[in-house]
Amino acid sequence: MSHDKDTVTHLRLNPDDVGQQDAQSLLDAIQSDLRYEEVIHGCLNCGVCSGSCPSHRFFDYSPRIVVQTVLSGDAEAVKGMMDEYIWACAQCYTCAMRCPFHNSPGGLVMIMREVAVWRGMEAVHRLLKPYGRVLLKVLSIGNQLTPDMIQPDFFPDWGPKIPWSSTDLAIKRKAIPVYTLQVTTSAWRVSPETSYELYSIYEETGVFRLIEEIDPNLYEVVADMVEDLRDMVESAR
Amino acid sequence: MASNTIDSSIKTTGWEFVTKTVDKRALIKNQKPDPREELAELEAQGEVKVIHITEENQPITVETLLGRTKRIPTNKLWHHKSCGQCGNIPGYPTSIMWFMNKLGLEYLDETHQTSCTAWNYHGSGTSNLVALASVAVRNWHRAYETGYFPLIHCGTSFGNYKEMRNLLIEHKDLRDEVRRIMHKVGRELVIPEEIVHYSEWLHVLRDRVAAMRVYDVSNIVTTVHPACHVWKLVPEDVIYDPAVYGGERPAPTTAILLELGAQVADYSTWYDCCGFGFRHILTEREFSRSFSLERKIKVMVEEAHSDVAITQDTGCTTTLDKNQWIGKAHGYNYDLPVIADVQFAALAAGADPYKVVQIQWHTSGWQKLLDKMGIDWRASKDAYEAYLEELRAGKEPDQLYIPPVEQPV
Ligand code: SF4
Ligand code: SF4
Repeated sequence: MSHDKDTVTHLRLNPDDVGQQDAQSLLDAIQSDLRYEEVIHGCLNCGVCSGSCPSHRFFDYSPRIVVQTVLSGDAEAVKGMMDEYIWACAQCYTCAMRCPFHNSPGGLVMIMREVAVWRGMEAVHRLLKPYGRVLLKVLSIGNQLTPDMIQPDFFPDWGPKIPWSSTDLAIKRKAIPVYTLQVTTSAWRVSPETSYELYSIYEETGVFRLIEEIDPNLYEVVADMVEDLRDMVESAR
Repeated sequence: MASNTIDSSIKTTGWEFVTKTVDKRALIKNQKPDPREELAELEAQGEVKVIHITEENQPITVETLLGRTKRIPTNKLWHHKSCGQCGNIPGYPTSIMWFMNKLGLEYLDETHQTSCTAWNYHGSGTSNLVALASVAVRNWHRAYETGYFPLIHCGTSFGNYKEMRNLLIEHKDLRDEVRRIMHKVGRELVIPEEIVHYSEWLHVLRDRVAAMRVYDVSNIVTTVHPACHVWKLVPEDVIYDPAVYGGERPAPTTAILLELGAQVADYSTWYDCCGFGFRHILTEREFSRSFSLERKIKVMVEEAHSDVAITQDTGCTTTLDKNQWIGKAHGYNYDLPVIADVQFAALAAGADPYKVVQIQWHTSGWQKLLDKMGIDWRASKDAYEAYLEELRAGKEPDQLYIPPVEQPV
């Protein structure tokens, strides 16, 4: 993985900063992100963003307050938001569509989430717990949702038809008339070569390092899978 | 109610005003440079390779929000599948391929594709810009080396890839870093001339698709849920057409429904998200359930008397479809069918509801919709159950398509 200082601070987070939670350094990491200037151009404090924000309607959350707080430079207040507040955002980008300054509060929230995860902030571990299954799939095969993930015990509120989707799955998937879809543990058949390339991307971009920090158990499983697949692909070459 | 202009009896508080005076006017006044022109300059400098739309792709030209033109390739397409569709709404990709077969179009569907990984990114933050851009370029390069043009099935992939395309064009250091990583995996930095969503493909072919209609759908009242990551995330190159809501709302999906002869009913929360929330569907389920019911399904039924909610993206189809049953606990008995535009078109064109449209994976009551359309879904169900038996007995499955480079094992 590249450790070039300029590259890591501008393009992505510095691997040496994992776990670093000093408030000013968090704000610096947000504001030095390459995308920061794309998502914030000033703020009228007009509240148009919050006016059509779905999360504002349901939670104690306002994109206007997120933008104003980051622009105020109050690092402690920004840090306070990163632990819980910003995770209410539904990432719909209605705010970006409407902001007269062409800001993207939703885009700012994503930068803040990345920093919060990278720095291992307290709420992140709890917030990411239900993501274990998605993370395992996305890390191992690059699919995020697979047929075998739709189980009634995981989605009890989806009603009585869900058990149909999870029983006799192999045959029902075989009955989908597209060869690539006739599988149960991935959304489509993914070639080993493709997963192999994906692992190289995760390794080079620090994603594996990040997972190792935030969920060591998950990382151990993924690392075994990576090793097996590497052996397989390399011996086939 | 049925109309393609804004119904004066239903107003979206302030939204039309804002759309005209803030979004469109401001975007038109302060137009950013056209990324495609910048991409052409980078190509001329030898900085990037471009996946061009060629005559073989049989492109059709449309107008976008900013009045720029966008060429939509219709042939020789590389299916960039959606994990949420393939995993949970399999009739979505099968309907696209069914139409391509019927229209005699060439395509490639293969196993050398990853998802965009952006659902996980938006939900959990466990990725980063370079990783997202590298995943995008890896998929683009795979399409490039096959000679097929990428057609993006998922709305989030579509929005994310437009974002990555723009950032790669604007930032040399991002290009350099992605190029370095691509070399490690034996690939090059390539960027498509246009990022194209399947709903745009369906939109430009709507006259040919509608000509295949075998069921009269003029009595069907549809309501459209435009997907946030399709039209709000990088809105500049979304297709608008003066014939659809006076050019004030995105044209794809609404236009194919009108072309098929269905009614398209307006409703006051058309612009709201579905409640998917990326992480909310997994971790804040109460939000997803309440928002989808209160702000979408309830309004579609009570205001617009909708027979069916029509979607153009993955997470929205799932959220709107799956979250209705639990509403019964609060006396919400809407049971509104939810299907994608291409599935509705396939049904209208006579595709088998079970075998092709895979309607059986949808949760909310689609039976009454198919009855109203005059489709004999019971016969389709019987045939499907018999087919499952044959598969259990070891029959090789029927295929709409087999990848040329791989054969079923
Ligand atoms: S809409 Fe834009 S300018 Fe207005 S408060 Fe939100 S971010 Fe600030
Ligand atoms: S992206 Fe987030 S902040 Fe913006 S409108 Fe949607 S939920 Fe609100």
